[in-house]
Amino acid sequence: MTVRVLFFGSVAERLGRGSAEAEPGITLSELVRRTGCADMQPLLLAVNQEQIRDTEYVVKDGDEVALMPPFSGG
Amino acid sequence: MDAVRIQESDFSIEQEVDALRSGSRRIGGIATFMGCARDFSEGRDVYSIRFEQYADMAEKAMRTLRDEAMDRFDIIETRIIHRVATVHAGDRIVLIVVGAEHRGPAFDACRWIIDELKRRVPIWKKETTPDGESWVSAHP
Repeated sequence: MTVRVLFFGSVAERLGRGSAEAEPGITLSELVRRTGCADMQPLLLAVNQEQIRDTEYVVKDGDEVALMPPFSGG
Repeated sequence: MDAVRIQESDFSIEQEVDALRSGSRRIGGIATFMGCARDFSEGRDVYSIRFEQYADMAEKAMRTLRDEAMDRFDIIETRIIHRVATVHAGDRIVLIVVGAEHRGPAFDACRWIIDELKRRVPIWKKETTPDGESWVSAHP
């Protein structure tokens, strides 16, 4: 198992893909940097379908991480 | 039908209000909020709006929102429906229905739910305008 990374909306469009894989054991801020999203601000993060603000969270094997632009539903 | 739904198809306000009303004889006031598609936004014509969602998280977030509203306000039942589809001007997008014994909590909860939905539920809209397609930034 690895870490599944999902991209949505304008983030997915800019990267030209909807998902990627990452190594476990890195922080969310490092994951954001490695996926080329560091300059996409504001960027919302979720781990296992829960929004998370702690960018020092260390991703684990099997985690599903989402990198998302601000929501615009409703 | 489920009280919390994300669906492609249109919904009927009357059916949703009836479904809520038939669940309890103690309901004395029902507040609704419906969001629909506009043909003009930020100085441009809008031909259509396409929605995208992070489905697993969106449904989870909407269910949590309903549970929190039930705890937070003196209400009896609430229904939350959001469409994820391509819509045109005038089309229905989102519906919040809240039933309470009295109108105050029904209005308050309805306002709170739609505000929090916009903040917490991972759904995005992309508008087609005369200049092409563009993602909509969050509306406060």
